[in-house]
Amino acid sequence: MPKVDALDLTNLNPYDVLKADVLDVITESPTIKTFRIKPEKPFEFVTGQFVELTVPGIGEAPFTPSSSHYEKEEMDITIMKVGFVTEAVHRVKRGDVLGIRGPYGKGYPLDKFKGKDVLILGGGVGLAPLRCLLLTLIHDIDDYKSITICFGARTPEDLIYKNQFDDWRKYDKIHILRSVDMIPEGQKWDEKVGVVTVLLDDIKINTKDAVAVACGPPIMMKFGTFALVDKGFKDENIYLSMEKKMYCGFGQCRHCVIGKYYACKDGPVFTYDVIKDEEKIWE
Amino acid sequence: MIVSNSDILKFFENVKNDFDIFIPYASELDEDNLSYKKFSNNKEFIINKYRTIDPVKTLLYLPSERVLPVNPKVPKRIIVGVKNCDLRALEVLDAALLKDNFVEPNYKVWRDNTYIISADCTEALSTCHCVLLDFPPYPEKTEDVSCSYDLNLIKVDDNYLITVGSKKGEELLELIKKYCSVRDASPEEKNKIEAQHAEIRKKLADINSDFSPDRKYDVISDNKDEATWKELSAECVECGGCTNICPTCYCIILNDESEKDCFKKVRTWDSCQLSGYARVAGGDSPRAKLWERFRNRYQCKFNIMEQNFSKSGCTGCGRCISTCPAGIDLREVIQSLQEV
Repeated sequence: MPKVDALDLTNLNPYDVLKADVLDVITESPTIKTFRIKPEKPFEFVTGQFVELTVPGIGEAPFTPSSSHYEKEEMDITIMKVGFVTEAVHRVKRGDVLGIRGPYGKGYPLDKFKGKDVLILGGGVGLAPLRCLLLTLIHDIDDYKSITICFGARTPEDLIYKNQFDDWRKYDKIHILRSVDMIPEGQKWDEKVGVVTVLLDDIKINTKDAVAVACGPPIMMKFGTFALVDKGFKDENIYLSMEKKMYCGFGQCRHCVIGKYYACKDGPVFTYDVIKDEEKIWE
Repeated sequence: MIVSNSDILKFFENVKNDFDIFIPYASELDEDNLSYKKFSNNKEFIINKYRTIDPVKTLLYLPSERVLPVNPKVPKRIIVGVKNCDLRALEVLDAALLKDNFVEPNYKVWRDNTYIISADCTEALSTCHCVLLDFPPYPEKTEDVSCSYDLNLIKVDDNYLITVGSKKGEELLELIKKYCSVRDASPEEKNKIEAQHAEIRKKLADINSDFSPDRKYDVISDNKDEATWKELSAECVECGGCTNICPTCYCIILNDESEKDCFKKVRTWDSCQLSGYARVAGGDSPRAKLWERFRNRYQCKFNIMEQNFSKSGCTGCGRCISTCPAGIDLREVIQSLQEV
């Protein structure tokens, strides 16, 4: 009888999920909450990578952590209520259990950022993964020439991490520019009004040699990228977070394919020169 | 190595308790349709003839399967009568699911525990078109093609010529020898097989004489003309049948069926032809229109899989043509794109 042994898969299953306790839930805006979770084991990742978060019995969705990658015991994930899974996440309370697997994808190549001016362009809940990057950069702030942050939101109320900007402003190397699309009655705002790209008119760095990192809604990504190119950033220095449907995280399910690339495996961050010729990248 | 028809039957009889044996039988509803069923000695199985209705992936990459936690114990199996179009498809699935840095656990267990006994085609369906892809209707080991069969059976008179394709095949042949008497093939038998091969190739060429084998696939990705694709996809009803029945489609969705602290994940085939496939939360989709999804299948089969795996995602089995309720013929689509 030919011998065929069944495989021991305990250490091999790529779908394996770690239990994660919800330590705190912070309401950031009417539609956005930050969840502080503690995975059952320390969770290592590099800024730019993402995780699959499970709401038991409901489903799974991809998110990029919003805490620094130097924090391994606990993790923040900031989530906008926008679909089936995220609505369920928003019902989660302190003490509930979630599942986490990953990390997936490639991180930002921080070595290439060193010694340079870094521009961070974000809109709406796109600030979430960018906060992860920002906190990681702050940890090693001496390594970077400067950090310029251009953040936009729909209204003042929709701006997340409201209380944290003052902490970041304390650093001489960090410059913060913010805008809102509109100011509804009853809300206050004394900074710029307009889509986030208007902030790029005020940046004071040599764009030819700087890197730009963008994350936000598709329309912002499209016009933000065009504006960055227009300001002199080189295509290979523009880092874009591509929002695609990512079920598995490791290139099996194929839902996130962009031409020959997988957003989950080859991204989710791509430099503009790599994907600019692929079809439908902004949708 | 030649073994008689009756000896092969004896072999199946003797090992049927040690293995789940799957073998093609004629469908009760339509005797022209073959499908894999568990071996039974009361019915006449059909090893050669042509491809089955359902691709071999249905036995190795199940339509819906729990992947967390996995069940590490699966039965040992022998799948008999796999045709070359499905062998070529297995090579695509292996390239996608058994990589250095990612191994799909269930697929690997099914694959490792399954022996593939392939067989030559002796007849062809009107939808068969492996010749247009430059594949022969029988497995052929060359320097470029590894061919994922363990053993292959070629019908010659009332016997089979067995060829070995892998180490697993060698093991299985040893087992076969315990129950069957074998001898070397005679020169006459070898000539006969060559003549059979030439005959079936000719038959396939005749079936496909309306289509040029000189196809250029770049035209699929290059052609972004909405009017052309709208016309080609005009009859499509978006049922997703073509992708489910395709031997190389492996897209899945992952469902969560966790209970409390016990995490359970189930993977189920998905279809890029369905409107929700690539739609993200919030409603955006890179392929919101039907013609875009229709074009995506052709791009995936002929351009993207080629880029990803250096293999064609279409193996010419013709199942998507047979199954399409709208009568869309992939060969005609490719042909008309050549002429645009």
